[in-house]
Amino acid sequence: MYKTILNIALKNAFLRKSRAILLILMIGLSMGTMLSIEGLYDGMTTNMIDKTIRSDSGEISIYPKKYRLNKEIKYQIKNTPKIIKNIQTLPGVTSVVQRFKVEGLARSATKAYPSTLIGIDLKDEEIFGQFSEFVTSGDLNLGIRGCIIAKELAKNLKLKLNSKLIFTTRDINNEIKSTLFRVKAIIQTTNIHLDNKAIFISKDKITSYLGVDKDSSTQIAIRVNNEKSITTIKKLYFEYDALDFKEINPLLKQMQDMMVIFNSITFSIVMFVVFIGILGVMYVSILDRVREFGIMIALGYKYKYIRYQVISEALFLGLAGFIVGSIVGYISLTYLKIYGLDLSSFADGLASFGMNSILYADLKFAYFSASFYAIIFASILSVFLPLRKIKKLNPVEVIKANK
Amino acid sequence: MIKLKNVNKYFYKGEPKEIHALKNISLEINKGDFLALSGSSGCGKTTLLNAIGVLDNIDDGEIFLNNKEISKLCKDEKTDIRLNEIGFVFQAYNLIPVLNVKENISFIMRLQNFSEDEINSRVLEVASLLQIEDKLDSLPSFLSGGQQQRVAVARAVASKPKIILADEPTANLDSKNSQTLMNMFRELNIKEGVTVLFASHDKYVIDAVDKVIKLEDGKLI
Repeated sequence: MYKTILNIALKNAFLRKSRAILLILMIGLSMGTMLSIEGLYDGMTTNMIDKTIRSDSGEISIYPKKYRLNKEIKYQIKNTPKIIKNIQTLPGVTSVVQRFKVEGLARSATKAYPSTLIGIDLKDEEIFGQFSEFVTSGDLNLGIRGCIIAKELAKNLKLKLNSKLIFTTRDINNEIKSTLFRVKAIIQTTNIHLDNKAIFISKDKITSYLGVDKDSSTQIAIRVNNEKSITTIKKLYFEYDALDFKEINPLLKQMQDMMVIFNSITFSIVMFVVFIGILGVMYVSILDRVREFGIMIALGYKYKYIRYQVISEALFLGLAGFIVGSIVGYISLTYLKIYGLDLSSFADGLASFGMNSILYADLKFAYFSASFYAIIFASILSVFLPLRKIKKLNPVEVIKANK
Repeated sequence: MIKLKNVNKYFYKGEPKEIHALKNISLEINKGDFLALSGSSGCGKTTLLNAIGVLDNIDDGEIFLNNKEISKLCKDEKTDIRLNEIGFVFQAYNLIPVLNVKENISFIMRLQNFSEDEINSRVLEVASLLQIEDKLDSLPSFLSGGQQQRVAVARAVASKPKIILADEPTANLDSKNSQTLMNMFRELNIKEGVTVLFASHDKYVIDAVDKVIKLEDGKLI
């Protein structure tokens, strides 16, 4: 019997071909657009978080107590290599780097800007976050006085490759010290904290320049592959400030939350449109067939069969729309994931928010599964109002009226 | 088989324009009867037919089908009776437009969960009896009025109901088709032993039946 009901539902769902095709296209295109927007929003935040993690914080960073409030070099992590060795033995840890950071003033021939000198080990940074991918010009061969400068800072100081700069700061004895560097490479991380202020030199160079112990650091950044490792590290190194990337970058966390809200709003609006679309089509379709339903009831077709039939009709249309939407969404997201959305004309504005000028989309199975459930829900919900009309139907009246 | 006791039916009950459509109707219809309800337009033929077929509610009285009171059953129970006991033939054919002739004829059988083999053989049997076997794959919209009415009859008899209620079955047919249709009903009545009750004032129907029950202004005369 249910085969008969499904057969009637299938025939009725696609009886008015142009109406059904329009509805399916409406659902498909709305869903495809929604998936693209969702993927781009997520891609944007994922990209920002990924670059911040790779260029600076890792999933978790350890700082000396008080250092983050008062960035003076007297606050140091002593015996860093030993700590790193211990961390590397923890499960889930994929890489660890140590950095020594000092605040100071960078000067070119004509300009001066507050900046941060960061001592790094390039080999470790490459393993940690593919540092070389951030290079926009030059190469990473630092030599004796070479430095790597962030793009925005280079722009502000009017520095190019091979330009000279002088960095001034206080050493461990509180003496003012200046040293000269030559720009060997320019990088852009889209991490605004780095892009506006960072100058990278070798770890050994900075410790000797500042007169600090070569085994000391101001940050140990750690990459892990699970949340549990973050908790473990926080517990183990409680005597330091062990902070995860969301605590280090609260703005990113806020942005991520905001994107979830944007996505939810977009999702709700699109699903509401889908709901209204199916409701409209089902309402008209059911009102067109009141007589048919009256005849069927007169012949012994129960109301519950009509309910199954009408719900099945809505589901056939909704699922057809979902299939079209999935295809459109998948193609569009795959394109945006590979080639991205080029917003170069807004590059400066986007960079000030720490975003790339080319936005790459994320492609997650969850987008499709959430849309599937929402469309099923919208399809079922959309037939309740028209079904109320049928429930009140008196077959005699319908048959009489059409004599 | 069917027994009506003091059946009364009102339209617009309690309103100034109240109509007393059936007045104290009492009658008995036996198994295998071939009879007609006759009378002028508006005398209550269709109302009585609908009441017997539990399509419409009555306000007073009792209707028995095989000694079971059926007028006060709930909606779903009445639907079951219409599905399992009664075959309907409507004046306007009332075929299901999205289903082809074969699917229309087998519609009730499928609701009754007949097997596919039973359905196929029965559809062919009634289709050949009603001379529509070459139209089985056609949609109702491609059939003439006479052919549609034969499909409606085939649908009504395919599941072998005990009773067929036919409301003005010849109203939209010409004299030749009317005569043919009545011959078919008679054949079904004899061959299948089906009780047939018509509501009609058409002479082809009146001439063909064994007994005519006359109605006037909602009363049996």
